[in-house]
Amino acid sequence: MNGIELLRIAVLVVYIVSGLLLSSLIVGKRIHQRRQLAHYRRRAKYLALLSRGLTTPDLRVDLGPRVAEDQAFLDALIDIRTSVIGPESDELATFVGRFGVMEGYARRLRGRLFVTRRLRAAVALAEVADDSFAPVLMDHLGDREPEIRIQAARGLARMHWTPAIDAIVDRFSVENPWVRSRFEDTLLSFGSKATWPLIAYIRVNHRFESPGSAAAIRTLANLGDRDAVTPLIDILGRASDIEIKLAAIETLGVLGVPLAFESLEKMFTAEDWRLRAKAATALAKVGDPRSLPALSSGLIDSNWWVRRNAAQGLSRYPEGIRRLHAAIRSAFPFARDAAAEALADAGEVIAARQRIEEGVPTDEDLELIEFIQSELVVPG
Amino acid sequence: MNQAAPKRILVADDSDTITTLLETALTAGGYEVLIARNGFDTYELGKSENVDLVILDHLMPGLLGLEIIERWRSEGIEVPVIVLSGVDDDRTVVSSLEVGAVDFIRKPFRLNELMARVKQRFPL
Repeated sequence: MNGIELLRIAVLVVYIVSGLLLSSLIVGKRIHQRRQLAHYRRRAKYLALLSRGLTTPDLRVDLGPRVAEDQAFLDALIDIRTSVIGPESDELATFVGRFGVMEGYARRLRGRLFVTRRLRAAVALAEVADDSFAPVLMDHLGDREPEIRIQAARGLARMHWTPAIDAIVDRFSVENPWVRSRFEDTLLSFGSKATWPLIAYIRVNHRFESPGSAAAIRTLANLGDRDAVTPLIDILGRASDIEIKLAAIETLGVLGVPLAFESLEKMFTAEDWRLRAKAATALAKVGDPRSLPALSSGLIDSNWWVRRNAAQGLSRYPEGIRRLHAAIRSAFPFARDAAAEALADAGEVIAARQRIEEGVPTDEDLELIEFIQSELVVPG
Repeated sequence: MNQAAPKRILVADDSDTITTLLETALTAGGYEVLIARNGFDTYELGKSENVDLVILDHLMPGLLGLEIIERWRSEGIEVPVIVLSGVDDDRTVVSSLEVGAVDFIRKPFRLNELMARVKQRFPL
């Protein structure tokens, strides 16, 4: 064979292979479209069936033994479940339960293979199952797959299965940040019932690990239960880890109870600038006028964040605004800058300009505008 | 004995889950149901068909629910409208009632409650 014949054969092979690839793409796409259409049709059929089951509870119908394996059924179930609330959700679970579907999902979840099928089963149980399946979900809070653990916690939260609270909280120290944040969200569903388990966890663990304890403290902020204030003050006093202290300060600020004032004021004199900066923000949030002297002293702190947060904190009080205006005359340039920025953020610069235009400026307005303009002048 | 013709209800939502569920429930309740899945079809059906009540999703492709109500009202179409919305803010509720909706239901909703509100529109 000479070179030209070889070349012809090579070109022919390329054409044949390309043709085969193109054909398989086209065929594959057609198959996929048909599967999608079939899925859509089955889903529509299941939607209609489940809707009839909701409106006619005694409806006699055969869903078929393999319905639990059908993704279209799960899609329809979840879609309906997320569209209705109240007693209809329970009726849906009862209707579906008559056909052993949830038992099928529980068996699938307990399997060892096929992560996707197990995850589907976990989602179905989390969305629809009644609390007779809570033990199944409890068993899977420690599942090897993180997404299944998340779904288990979600389902238990939806069922308001309070024995799950301790089990979920206990996992804070061993979970990765992503799973832990999802666990934090599920705990919010339990409301104030989660407060004391979280506090117990923090009390025991804050000496040994910080990520889980800090996350538990921040969850208390999101729960907003003021019963947590006194224990948190105690933890703030005892904790040595900076992350836990920061979380506790932040949470005390969010909970906004003046009872926390003294602890936060003490943090305002801490050596670590991060504690002082957080304490400045928290002091402003607790709304205690005793914060004003501390916040005023923060304007001459060595750290920019502390000065900024102290100034922002002062701007939340009418007396604080007066102190900020006074700080424009401070001997410390950084204090003047922080005060001017906070006054600008509070709308005082705009208000001052307006009063000047109207011909009724105060001395403070003139001082503020003069300071702003002098700071904007570029030295020649 | 004359039987009154069933009340005609237009269900307008781009979610087939909602339309299937409401169609099933309303049909079981003895109503005749029309379905629309986008804003333009909803507007046209409300104009051309003699419906007694509209259950209207706030956010649909084509025309928004409130735009549809405004257009109907400007053309003298006074069909009562119940707005169904997943948008959870008071401004949407107020806006809906201001343009002429008679009721507002948040999603996810209680089916029994929605059926009761529909029934209340048609006192015996």
